[in-house]
Amino acid sequence: MVKVGDRLLGYATDPDVRSRGASGGLVTAVLAAALEKGLVEGVVVLKRMDEYEAIPVITDDVQEVLASGGSMHAVPVNLAKHAVGRKIAMPGKPCDVRGVIEQAKRNGVDLESTYIVGLNCGGTMHPVVTREMLVRMYEIDPEDVSGEEIEKGKLIFRTKDGEEKAIPIDDLEEAGYGRRENCRYCTVKIPTSADLACGNWGVIGELAGNATFCEVMNEKGKRLLDNAIEAGFVDVRPADEKAIAIREKVNSAMLSLGSEWKEKVFTEMPDQERLSYYMEQFADCIHCGACKEVCPVCTCGEDSKCTMFHSLADNYRMSMYHMVRLLHLSDSCIGCGQCSDVCPVDIPVTSIFRRFADPAQKKRNYEPGMDLTRPPFLEVMLK
Amino acid sequence: MAQKESITKTEEFTEYEEASDPRIGVFVCECGVNIGGVVNCRAVADYAATLPGVVHSTVNKYACSDAGQSEIKQAIMEHDLNRVLVASCTPKTHEPIFRACVEEGGLNPYLFEFVNIREHCSWIHMQDKESATKKASDLVRMGVSRARLLEPLQSTEVPVTNKALVIGAGVAGMQAALDIADMGYKVYLVEKNPSIGGKMAQLDKTFPTNDCSICILGPKMVEVSRNRNIELLTYSEVEEVDGYVGNFKVKVRHKPRFVDVTTCTGCGLCVQKCPIEVPDFEFNEGIGTRRAIYVPFPQAVPLRAVVDRAVCIDCGACSKACESHSINMEQEETFSDIEVGVIVVTTGYDVYNPEPTHDFGYGLYDNVITGMELERLLNASGPTMGKLVRPSDVRPPKRIGFIQCVGSRDKKRNRYCSGFCCMYALKDAQLIREKYPDSEVYIMYMDIRAPFRNYEEFYDRARDMGVKFIRGKPGRVTEGKDNNITVRVEDTLTNNIYNLELDLLVLSVGAVSSESSERIRQLLKVSRAADGFMMEAHPKLKPVDTTLDGIFIGGVTQGPKDIPYSVSQGSACAARATRYLAQGKASTEGITVDVDVDICVGCGICVPMCPFQALSLVDGKLGIIKALCKGCGTCAVACPTGALQQDHFKNNQIFAQVRSAFTFEGE
Amino acid sequence: MTDKEWEPKIVAFCCNWCSYGGADTAGMGRFQQPSSLRIIRVMCSGRIDPMHVLNAFLEGADAVLVTGCHIGDCHYVNGNYKAEVRYRFLEEMVRELGLEPERLQLNWISASEGEKFANFVRDVTAQIRQLGPSPLKPEGVN
Repeated sequence: MVKVGDRLLGYATDPDVRSRGASGGLVTAVLAAALEKGLVEGVVVLKRMDEYEAIPVITDDVQEVLASGGSMHAVPVNLAKHAVGRKIAMPGKPCDVRGVIEQAKRNGVDLESTYIVGLNCGGTMHPVVTREMLVRMYEIDPEDVSGEEIEKGKLIFRTKDGEEKAIPIDDLEEAGYGRRENCRYCTVKIPTSADLACGNWGVIGELAGNATFCEVMNEKGKRLLDNAIEAGFVDVRPADEKAIAIREKVNSAMLSLGSEWKEKVFTEMPDQERLSYYMEQFADCIHCGACKEVCPVCTCGEDSKCTMFHSLADNYRMSMYHMVRLLHLSDSCIGCGQCSDVCPVDIPVTSIFRRFADPAQKKRNYEPGMDLTRPPFLEVMLK
Repeated sequence: MAQKESITKTEEFTEYEEASDPRIGVFVCECGVNIGGVVNCRAVADYAATLPGVVHSTVNKYACSDAGQSEIKQAIMEHDLNRVLVASCTPKTHEPIFRACVEEGGLNPYLFEFVNIREHCSWIHMQDKESATKKASDLVRMGVSRARLLEPLQSTEVPVTNKALVIGAGVAGMQAALDIADMGYKVYLVEKNPSIGGKMAQLDKTFPTNDCSICILGPKMVEVSRNRNIELLTYSEVEEVDGYVGNFKVKVRHKPRFVDVTTCTGCGLCVQKCPIEVPDFEFNEGIGTRRAIYVPFPQAVPLRAVVDRAVCIDCGACSKACESHSINMEQEETFSDIEVGVIVVTTGYDVYNPEPTHDFGYGLYDNVITGMELERLLNASGPTMGKLVRPSDVRPPKRIGFIQCVGSRDKKRNRYCSGFCCMYALKDAQLIREKYPDSEVYIMYMDIRAPFRNYEEFYDRARDMGVKFIRGKPGRVTEGKDNNITVRVEDTLTNNIYNLELDLLVLSVGAVSSESSERIRQLLKVSRAADGFMMEAHPKLKPVDTTLDGIFIGGVTQGPKDIPYSVSQGSACAARATRYLAQGKASTEGITVDVDVDICVGCGICVPMCPFQALSLVDGKLGIIKALCKGCGTCAVACPTGALQQDHFKNNQIFAQVRSAFTFEGE
Repeated sequence: MTDKEWEPKIVAFCCNWCSYGGADTAGMGRFQQPSSLRIIRVMCSGRIDPMHVLNAFLEGADAVLVTGCHIGDCHYVNGNYKAEVRYRFLEEMVRELGLEPERLQLNWISASEGEKFANFVRDVTAQIRQLGPSPLKPEGVN
């Protein structure tokens, strides 16, 4: 039996799952065990389209879960909205987890019946940008890629014929490739608001590459892991001091890199310039509503204040739709980047929203998606 | 929910058709010259006629007059209006009048739109007629856009609990309680002190008749205690108030007296045995003393002892002395929940305290006292048995001076006139001259204010009795030999400067709002006026109403007044409050919130916003208890989807109003 | 119009009980004011939706005033407190947008404070005259 707060190293007992899954297949095995033993009715898995793209689907087939293992660095889809209204277990990057927590605050997700296995994340890449990067920077045909890996600050791609090419991530990002912009300045790398926080940071020595570091964050995490151990799906052992220290070291290195990026992205702008910048950016908007559709923290249906009260006929200098969204999201925006990803006219929606949300959240010491007990401050901080 | 079921719709409400095709009538009121003298009302009406939806537009001399109202009613018929807009004064006073008018004309009262072009336009732009007319047109345009979107609403009726609560048993509260009780309704009369009576019980004599205060108040106090319809809750405080007109739920805290009031006879044996003696601040302004166990004053109602546990040493002497075994040191505070339909607030005032600022040496020099302290010194049952002595040496003063307007009519203290200080100084001066004919009495004043029957005569009488009047406010007060007080004052009528040496200086202090009154005000959410007292609904026409249905204010709670005025207000409160009790019903707010369940996603953000607990989630959607909703609309702001809307202030109505505040070039 | 000083358009949201009454009292006291103000009456300052404030700017308001009862005096327990929480948030947003902070102001005005209301209108109008029309004002709108 594990305890809340335990920090463990673990892996799947099934050798096949262990070798196929990233870092020992622990996450895959935990999810599969939850389904097998009836803890949940379904599991969110990523159905692979190709090396760069996958779509989230919910399956009730344990075999499908077990077969779904493997990391894909170019999968930026946010999973939070897939948890709405279902009794499921899901893996999740920090932004997925935070989206689920914000949904739960607005009764969108019932956390009692939703299990989240969090995965450490240093950032994801946009599929389209990745393909372009492969051609331009790596000079590899994207279709020839068979695997990728991050090692010592370098992004390595392997081709089907066994060749490897490594380029420092810094160089890639300087050139406008690499991680999505919001990932670069993201402030949560270890999803501590999930039930289990898993990842390969801190896994060293002989276990490196085939075990997962796993922290039990709460009672539900304990239930998940106990269930998987009891079912014989996973093996765990306590992580030693060194493992814990290394995981923390990686995390803080990532975070300080993140804050450097933050300064780079959010340059100071004089008042008037800022106003015209926003006006110009939003002037391109075609009001397709995609940014609202994908937003993992928005619980509104199709009709909401942002959509109902804006009209294309208005002669406004700035979009009412975005004004209301800026207002409504400033307390809960987690900077997941979905809105920028889907914007058909390439408005940097995320970075604009972060310009508003970041200071507001900081001022109120509110980190959305990290603490279920803190209600959205804009409306409920009074209680 | 029991409350929900008890709501009944007004039976005579007819079905009004919701106009898809607005036919708006605009009536621009000249209000004599009040509006017409500044705003070109004809031009405004002509402009209104051009606005979409307006089918009739005209100017009235006085829209609120009978003639004006019939014109509106007639126009509704003639032009088949389904919306009425009146541009005149403020909705705060006239909205109910015009709502009733359009209702009589056959429209739902909420299809009426009010535009204020008097207080918000003609009266504040008197020098710029052109801008005033332009602004009036803007305001009317804003009103018309709103009127187009107005929807009929129905107010609901709630039953009224036929009981009243009166908070504060001074003379105003006692009068209110007696009147309500005599009209046949149960009254809870809550008093925070151990005895009823209020400030009047402390006074010696009353102007302008110089009759003994407690002699006229005492019988009334007894009447209150004997009235079967009055339940007296002394030494008790209102802790919580919940609900709304007709259905207030009140929690009252009963402080422990440590004496069983049902068996105590008020004989005072316990008091005699008590070894602890402390200054009596409660009744004698700290001049005399009382024991740790004490009867508040000889005429107290209820005439029961009370123990001051803060100074009691638990020696048990009182217990031994008590023949009826009434003393119980184990008593604890208790609470009771009462339900009433109306609340009358008569929480009174505090006497202005000159001590913190040492006004005229008060608190520095022994022989500077307040008017209230003088009352106790003059009172035959007071600490000196009515013998006037001065504090420093307990000897009778020969030269006594009064300074008027202490703490009142003073920009650094309180700007208002407390009204009664002139009269009580005149009274006390007379009493001193009567008792001690060889005394010299001076009154230093700015103006003597003596309106009402026999007050001016009372002033004349004081002059005739040899009271000396000096018109001037003293500049400096110092203490000299024998603790005598020297007052430097200019008589501004003669331009003489006096250095007046006095044995005793009395400060005629006024009234200030009390802390306990402020606490009740906040509990009830009654408005506060600039002077700190509670604010009435209308300074002339609703002097004892508040803006809250079913809550009334009387006596000095509303502002300084003398005894007859306070008593009249007590009666006025009773009359106003009893209307609800007699009708047995009250109509609640027609403006509430509504939720569109098709849009509501059940996020629950709005639920904690409601201060009246009217919202809850039912099966993943929002449920509203209409009877609890007061229509503030704060939840509608919280709603991210716009599913929750406040009637009469719907999002589209506000958007339309904002938009039409502006004009597009060429319009 | 041209020879006259430019008059801004200021939208004020007033609560029914206090600040609207304060505007009435200002009128009763004949405290003369610039004709810049357009009052939108709501029952409680808690009903003042930041969305409507932003919309007022988009429609062409040179300034928007959020007013209500003094804290502690709300007729709906604490609507004005909620209004203030929202206002603080809105204030930061307007600042981030790049609008001059003078264009959005909050004031608690009781029904008895007519003079205060009038002074507020005078002060804000003077400030906005200095600033000129709002950069968010649509073309051709006044």
